[in-house]
Amino acid sequence: MGPVIDARGLTHAYPDGTRAVDDVDLTIEAGEAVAVVGANGSGKSTLQLALGGLVEPTAGTVEYFGETTDAEAVRDRLGVLLQEPDDYLFNTTVREDIQYGPAQLGLPEAVADRRTDTLAETLGLSALLDRPPFRLSGGEKQRAAVASVLSFDPEVLLVDEPLGAVDAHYRAVILDLIADFEGTTVVFTPTLDYVPEIADRVVCIGREGSIVADGPTREILTDRSLLEHHGLRPPRTVQLFDGLVDPAEIPLTVPAARQFLSAHDRLPPSAER
Amino acid sequence: MTGPVARSTAAIAGLLRQFFTAERIAAADGLLQRRDPRAVLLSTVGLAVAVMISRSLAVVGLFGGLTLLVAWRSKVPLDRLAARSGVVPLVSALIVLPQVVLVPGEPLASLWGLTVTDAGVGYLLVFTARVAVGVTLLSLLVLTTPFAAIVAAMRSLGLPVALVWVLAITYRYLFLFFDELQRLVVARNSRTTGESTLRSGWRDLRGIAGTFLLRTLDRGERVGRGMRARGGGRPPSPYDRSGSLAAADYALLSLAGLALLGSGVVRWGP
Repeated sequence: MGPVIDARGLTHAYPDGTRAVDDVDLTIEAGEAVAVVGANGSGKSTLQLALGGLVEPTAGTVEYFGETTDAEAVRDRLGVLLQEPDDYLFNTTVREDIQYGPAQLGLPEAVADRRTDTLAETLGLSALLDRPPFRLSGGEKQRAAVASVLSFDPEVLLVDEPLGAVDAHYRAVILDLIADFEGTTVVFTPTLDYVPEIADRVVCIGREGSIVADGPTREILTDRSLLEHHGLRPPRTVQLFDGLVDPAEIPLTVPAARQFLSAHDRLPPSAER
Repeated sequence: MTGPVARSTAAIAGLLRQFFTAERIAAADGLLQRRDPRAVLLSTVGLAVAVMISRSLAVVGLFGGLTLLVAWRSKVPLDRLAARSGVVPLVSALIVLPQVVLVPGEPLASLWGLTVTDAGVGYLLVFTARVAVGVTLLSLLVLTTPFAAIVAAMRSLGLPVALVWVLAITYRYLFLFFDELQRLVVARNSRTTGESTLRSGWRDLRGIAGTFLLRTLDRGERVGRGMRARGGGRPPSPYDRSGSLAAADYALLSLAGLALLGSGVVRWGP
């Protein structure tokens, strides 16, 4: 399997001259789970739009599936979820929004219904399907937007900050959906705490819109000086264990930290679960 | 909080409240709510056309009575219906008011050298009544049928896709823009202390209007991207979920058809 996205010298400057994306070379292989991380204003969202073919690059190219540089030709294979759900939900009911993707693909109604029911149940939207999207709360809109991109069943998911205003329960549900997604995922986020759960590779964007680091999740997320230099905070477990244990052993998630402490007899027996 | 800006917040909130109340009416178990949206759409539009072609005050009055009866049976509060439907006829009456002196007829009275004629007054009354009943019928449609169902009915009836699509998007984003405007006004109010004078209020309003325009343009661009991200080449929802019409739906359609026919006969018949 070759690259699904191959960006070369990708640059995007806004009319006022701000270079939000600057000379980015980025190759995403099929089946990869990648997190693109960066501070606010580093150009993550613009990079997502440029990779998704939704803004014209000022310079450079993006090749899709080794076949074409025309994103519209492969639109049915790309699932681009925008940061703001209100930009994404534009139908008269939540059901129509979720079914918009399957309808675009010309899928039979029964298939669209099945996908809708499954996603609605998973994301707690069953009772909201016939409501207008603008009547939903912020977290509900975010969940509806996630359902809308997943109902499309794309080969590649490009999602910008998918958790938004979602509560703790549905955060876990959405992270599970992304982690279990069978295609390629690229998640753009400034929050690193959940990155180890959904990505094997981390691409770090600097404040000038260029890539400053690209490597395995552990390598990037345990590099405290790199992250802090670029306006990011390592995951909480990294902050806790940094300097206390060998960097190769730092647990990246809370469950991993509990396991680590338990294995090193640092948890009272009553706390072990 | 005082001043025009603060008052505009209340106005926006009131508008949204009115809309949400309408959704509750649409969810009630009433005469029109039980009918298929296609039948409701066609029959109300048919009745509105029947009213519009009528030139007789008695016929228009008959349709007005029928409309109120249907509204009552559909559990629509009449004060709310009047509030929704009252403005347009009043504006219409003002527009055609000069006709009371311009239409030739028997003189009724003289005011400031102008002669009010019976034909002119008759024209004003019929015209205003027609507009009032027509608008009330369409308000009845909007109050008793969820907008999504009206859009689906339009699609199912084969109306041009572009028309239905533009209508649906406009409706959807109208409320998004209201939210945007309300957020701007609330943000302004949350950081405004003391009494706001009319002058400072209008100055702020000018600034807000400019920002609102820019945010609206930006929103439009982002929504365009959202649509492109999901294809966007086909109609919004091509799945036709309409079932078959019930006997009562046909009865409603027949009633509207007969009313249209009757109104036509009265207008153009022997």
